[in-house]
Amino acid sequence: MKRNNLFLLFIILAFSLGLNGKAFCFDLESRVIKTKLKNGITVLIMERHISPTVSLYIRHRIGAVDEDKGETGAAHMLEHMMFKGTKTIGTKNYAAEKKILEAIEKTGAVLDKEKQKGDKANAKTIEELSSRLRKLQDKHKKYFIPNEIDRLYTQNGGLDLNASTGHDVTTYQVSLPANKLELWARIESDRLLNPVFREFYTERDVVMEERRQRTETNPAGKLYEQFMSVAFSTHPYRNPIIGWPQDLMRLSPAAMKKYFEKYRAPHKTVIAVVGAINPEQTLKLIEKYFGAIPPSKEIKNIIAPEPKQTEERRTEIIFDASPAMIIGFHKPNPPAYDDYVFDVLETILADGRTSRLYNLLVKQMQVAESVSAYNGLPASLYPNLFAIFASPRHPHTNAELENIILRELERLKTEPVTEEELTRAKNQLRMNYIKSLDSNARIASILSYYEVLLGDYRYFSDYLKNIDKVTAQDIQNTATNYLKKENRTIATLDRKKE
Amino acid sequence: MLAKKILNFSFIFLLITAIFPGAASAADSRMIPPDKINFPALKFDLLPAERLVLENGIIIYILEDHELPLVNIEALVRTGSIYDPEGKEGVADLTAYVMRTGGTEKLTGDEVDRRFDLLAASAAVSMHTDYATVDFSALSKNTEEGIDLLAQIITAPAFEKNKLELAVQLKKEELRRLQDDPQRLAFREFNRLIYRNNPRGRMFSSASLSNIDREDLINFHRRFFQPNNIMFAVTGDITKEQAINLFTKYFGKWKKGTPANQTSLPAPTLQAGLYFIDKDIPQSTIVCGQFAPGKHDPDYYAFTVLEFITGSGGFNSRIFDAVRNNKGLAYSAGSLYRPRSTFGLFVAYAFTKTSSTMQTLSLINTILDDIKRGTLTANELDWAKQSINNGFIFSFSSVQDIAWQQMKSEFEKMPPDYLARYRERIEKVTLEDLNRLAGLYLDKSNNIVLILGDYENFDKPADINAEPVIIKPQE
Repeated sequence: MKRNNLFLLFIILAFSLGLNGKAFCFDLESRVIKTKLKNGITVLIMERHISPTVSLYIRHRIGAVDEDKGETGAAHMLEHMMFKGTKTIGTKNYAAEKKILEAIEKTGAVLDKEKQKGDKANAKTIEELSSRLRKLQDKHKKYFIPNEIDRLYTQNGGLDLNASTGHDVTTYQVSLPANKLELWARIESDRLLNPVFREFYTERDVVMEERRQRTETNPAGKLYEQFMSVAFSTHPYRNPIIGWPQDLMRLSPAAMKKYFEKYRAPHKTVIAVVGAINPEQTLKLIEKYFGAIPPSKEIKNIIAPEPKQTEERRTEIIFDASPAMIIGFHKPNPPAYDDYVFDVLETILADGRTSRLYNLLVKQMQVAESVSAYNGLPASLYPNLFAIFASPRHPHTNAELENIILRELERLKTEPVTEEELTRAKNQLRMNYIKSLDSNARIASILSYYEVLLGDYRYFSDYLKNIDKVTAQDIQNTATNYLKKENRTIATLDRKKE
Repeated sequence: MLAKKILNFSFIFLLITAIFPGAASAADSRMIPPDKINFPALKFDLLPAERLVLENGIIIYILEDHELPLVNIEALVRTGSIYDPEGKEGVADLTAYVMRTGGTEKLTGDEVDRRFDLLAASAAVSMHTDYATVDFSALSKNTEEGIDLLAQIITAPAFEKNKLELAVQLKKEELRRLQDDPQRLAFREFNRLIYRNNPRGRMFSSASLSNIDREDLINFHRRFFQPNNIMFAVTGDITKEQAINLFTKYFGKWKKGTPANQTSLPAPTLQAGLYFIDKDIPQSTIVCGQFAPGKHDPDYYAFTVLEFITGSGGFNSRIFDAVRNNKGLAYSAGSLYRPRSTFGLFVAYAFTKTSSTMQTLSLINTILDDIKRGTLTANELDWAKQSINNGFIFSFSSVQDIAWQQMKSEFEKMPPDYLARYRERIEKVTLEDLNRLAGLYLDKSNNIVLILGDYENFDKPADINAEPVIIKPQE
């Protein structure tokens, strides 16, 4: 939650660029111990003695897609609230606190209601309620100890304590000296059993600042948000994870409780432990602490599929910044075979200085400052997008880049990619895969991600085998099937015309 | 790695553990207060990297690890953008970039690109203010081909003219786009202010980039890229013998020289003040700071602790807790400490909406005042020392980290026991040290304060009445 919440997806994408080699086979399956607790939580453990540390990931198959209409931003807000402690962590007297928290919630709800009247709101009422809220908040401060979760982890040597909310998945992570495993089990199981959502209204202001920082003042953030909201017409992938401002301003503690119930469904929870630990003892510890979470019924979250796109969509942002653009195409999500083909295509088009688009736009024609391609935006549980991001180099324009990029994409349909390009791409994917295995945190991240998303981390261990199957013909077919005008969305950002 | 013998240089970490016997036998042992968990001791040896010197002066740290078929090489070079010729700011950066892209005596730039991509190997040279780094990685089956390419880039770059021209154009575009990134722009302009009239504050501009030609890069490379001016850390799936052989083969003929980085730079002098940069956006970037102890100063350890409590120690550090947690004024707020060899830099920052800009600055000032008044507690001191010392192990969580830490310690001319005794020196820091340093380095009236934002609409709290100077970012 300190960093990278929205952009977790980019990190995951980087992870998904893996491969399993002919020359190299890092046998994950023989090293990962997978267990299901009685309540349904899946536990993945990998012993790794490079250093006396351990990386711990908890992922929930709950994210922004699970939000109800008018409540965008709730999953991310809840992730922030999960750092506010529990009934036994961060309190001086929970019984006294509870009463004040209830009063804060009531006052906050009335105040929000009045503020939503906009021009018709009564300024005096707002002032009175705000003042009452402030007094209650000050009173509450006497009964709780702020930042206890962070304090405990930090003081015990915790590294990269963080959480992130994606469209599909929410994650809580930390790395610790290996002897501090029980601290993690104590804190994390408690915040799944007895969380207390303190300081809600102040934290909502923090999230508003987060939105200003990531979106309102950031041309790339603005462009991306607008692009997604047009590329998807009905599917919740169209909503920003951080929430639309009008929804964010209305979020309530009650909404937090509703989403928390979804979160804690054990059958949608995956824990990964990678590092210098004893697997048996670790599992016992996890059973002791997390076994107390009650099992829950499967509640099917029915999300209508995005209707098939039938004509090109365009959107233009006016922003005082240098121009940039995104072109995206709808496509299937993993584990569909076409998704692997797009991973190879992404590499051929934009990974490295000799990749097609970088070489052409940046090095040869010198019309772009940068170009990149991403397969799998904005997330991977539902059909998603293949997208190309490009920024023109002054005085060149988005329109020029668009012409060249679209021409190059057309060429993929008529000419097969060369053997050298295919070999290069597969080598690069293999290299990225191997690099992703070089730290406890990265391994824990990948294992838990695929397990929670696809129900099986072996998507990752089998990844390279599938990539190796991809042929030049596959790329040509995939380009023909998906890189079509009626399947694309183009978003551009430009300064106001003088 | 486990099968190998422990070399005589080894640091032993015994992580501090609080022992409360019997605490775990409470009614529900799952509800044990987290501070009372009885943690097992963590005792271990770290296998250090081995240090070698080749005949031409190249220093190499080597540490094997065969878990993955991967070889990593990192290097540090004594150079930096501080050596940019006056009026030609950008030469250092361009030298680093075009070394990688502009070909070698044997291969064109395009051919180097092609070979690296085909091998899926990567190499990058990055220039910093007072050093440069090299990062290289390859699959171990391609180690020799990769090191051959790396050696060509470092020892015999060709600096092709068209690749320089492309790099200059891309740099100019980077400058244009810098205007769109409030945080990067504010920090760059803050550096220009705090390093006024000092080589560290000279930054490339569109005009200075236009003055640079190929000869400048050739000269810059010749002055600094010499075997006795670079250190390597070689780690991963490579044996010591293999590393020595390959480095001798590909770097052995590289001739020793007299590096040009011996000149001692003037220390920067402080000129406090309040500065605004106008930008019509809904969130302001506040950056304020002053000079602090350098890495060789005996106060380096105590200031590390002080600054941790002030703003870099996460949620409980004072700025983060007050600005973000207590007031909800920012998502990002805190401080950073950049210790250099002869001086350091302390910077506090926060990004907040236009209407709470001056309120946030005022809050940061109040926090600094409070600390200076001696309000730090023994609890805070303990928390900070334990946090820093317990987390120290993560500086050594891979062979790459271990070799890098050792190399960096030598590069920065730290005492030989620096890493081994770091935790002990942190442990010795007292509350008196913190109070003394707060008086010296956290005086708000010494701060340079830069705020980028929609300044006409800033709030106007009563306690800030300094007259701001409006500046324009460099183009």
